[in-house]
Amino acid sequence: MRIIPPMITQKEIANAVKDCLVKAGTTSRKDQLEAYETAAQKETSRNAGWVLEKLFENAQIAKKNLFPLCDDSGIPHVIAEIGNDAVLPAGWLSGIYEGISEGLRQMPGRPMAVRGNDVERVEQSRGLFKDPAKLSPAPVIVKPIPGNALKVTILLLGGGPEIRAKTYRIFHKRSMENVLKEASGWMASEARNLGCTPCTLAIGIGRTHMEASALMLEAMKKGTLRRQNRWEEKVTNWINEENVGPLGLGGKTTVLGTFINVGPTRASGVRIVSIRPCCCVEPRKATVTLKP
Amino acid sequence: MHKPNRIHKISTPITASEIRNLRPGDPLEITGKIFCGRDAVLPKIVTLIETGELDKLGVDFQGSVIFHTAVSPAGIGPTTSNKIEIESSIPMLSKIGVRIHLGKGSVGPDTVKALKRYHSVFAITPPVSALFSDKIVSRRIAAFPEEGMEALYEIAVKDFPAIIASAHGETIFSK
Repeated sequence: MRIIPPMITQKEIANAVKDCLVKAGTTSRKDQLEAYETAAQKETSRNAGWVLEKLFENAQIAKKNLFPLCDDSGIPHVIAEIGNDAVLPAGWLSGIYEGISEGLRQMPGRPMAVRGNDVERVEQSRGLFKDPAKLSPAPVIVKPIPGNALKVTILLLGGGPEIRAKTYRIFHKRSMENVLKEASGWMASEARNLGCTPCTLAIGIGRTHMEASALMLEAMKKGTLRRQNRWEEKVTNWINEENVGPLGLGGKTTVLGTFINVGPTRASGVRIVSIRPCCCVEPRKATVTLKP
Repeated sequence: MHKPNRIHKISTPITASEIRNLRPGDPLEITGKIFCGRDAVLPKIVTLIETGELDKLGVDFQGSVIFHTAVSPAGIGPTTSNKIEIESSIPMLSKIGVRIHLGKGSVGPDTVKALKRYHSVFAITPPVSALFSDKIVSRRIAAFPEEGMEALYEIAVKDFPAIIASAHGETIFSK
């Protein structure tokens, strides 16, 4: 007799992802809150300190009331890590999509999906859907992990950082410092225009534009402001020397920290680098682990 | 606890003398009715001004505030004011009486000059939507309902916090 291993259901996946999305959009991470506090203590400018305190206060209200941290509740991005021994039901990916839709309705997400055909969507000429659930997620990243669990991470990416982010090639000249200096240079001017500082820089270094972007997203998933390696500290310090400060008001804290994720590299003098200045409420992320 | 500099308490409609007293870096709290509009509607309003059809809207912008935000069940919060649709609307809207443009991010030197010419200012506020949720007393669509969350809204706020970024030709953004 064939033994069927226990399996999580599509409905369980959908429910878990729904709660995960709401948590990502309404709950600041502990390392983020600690970073606001540390930065507020360092700032001597009263206005800069005031901004950091408002961010802290906003985080407390959002968590208490399960209200979005920012009205730009973000485009959902998903990283699904599937255990090598996990047995998933048919429709597991649809379950994730279903959970995202339900989460967007519950939070609620901002109703910002654009109606129409290709041209109408580009030109935004037919208006918007009223239902926040019409906002489809970005393509899902799938990775294998040991064990029998399904881990789903939801990241919500706001529009301001997307205006400032950049994915481009850098001639490395056999120097990590050279690569990071050039990428930091891109962000030095962008941080001033972003408005939503202090930001957290997410950097992916890979072989192709798609891969570098995926690595950058993974940097957002894995990174914590509690642990910064020496390269991450260097990048943070370079940008903070710009004195843009919270909200562009001047001050010591333009960047709270940096998350760097280096993937496989190509035998070449070129690295593809993706860098994103995640705004002051980002990275907004949450992970749920499902086991049978 | 960081206390901001002396807070200017401002009610709409805003007078010219109130604007004269504002300097870059000054904190303010706004009470009263303010407009909310962003990428979609601000260029439409500018077109109506240029074609002499603004009266069709039935909206009085004299002494007003325009907050660069969407209005949705997810709340309100500043969008980037240096997007071309928004920043390019600032001179013309200032000319017809918008006194405070409220958003986030830097604005360019030409915009700073236009603000000075028309006796208007640019102010910024953090993206703290959860905190803002209890500052809104009421909301209604004032024009362009077809734009959904990007319609021109009129909301009533109480003690809405902001900091002056550009006024009288000066700006916090010049290095």
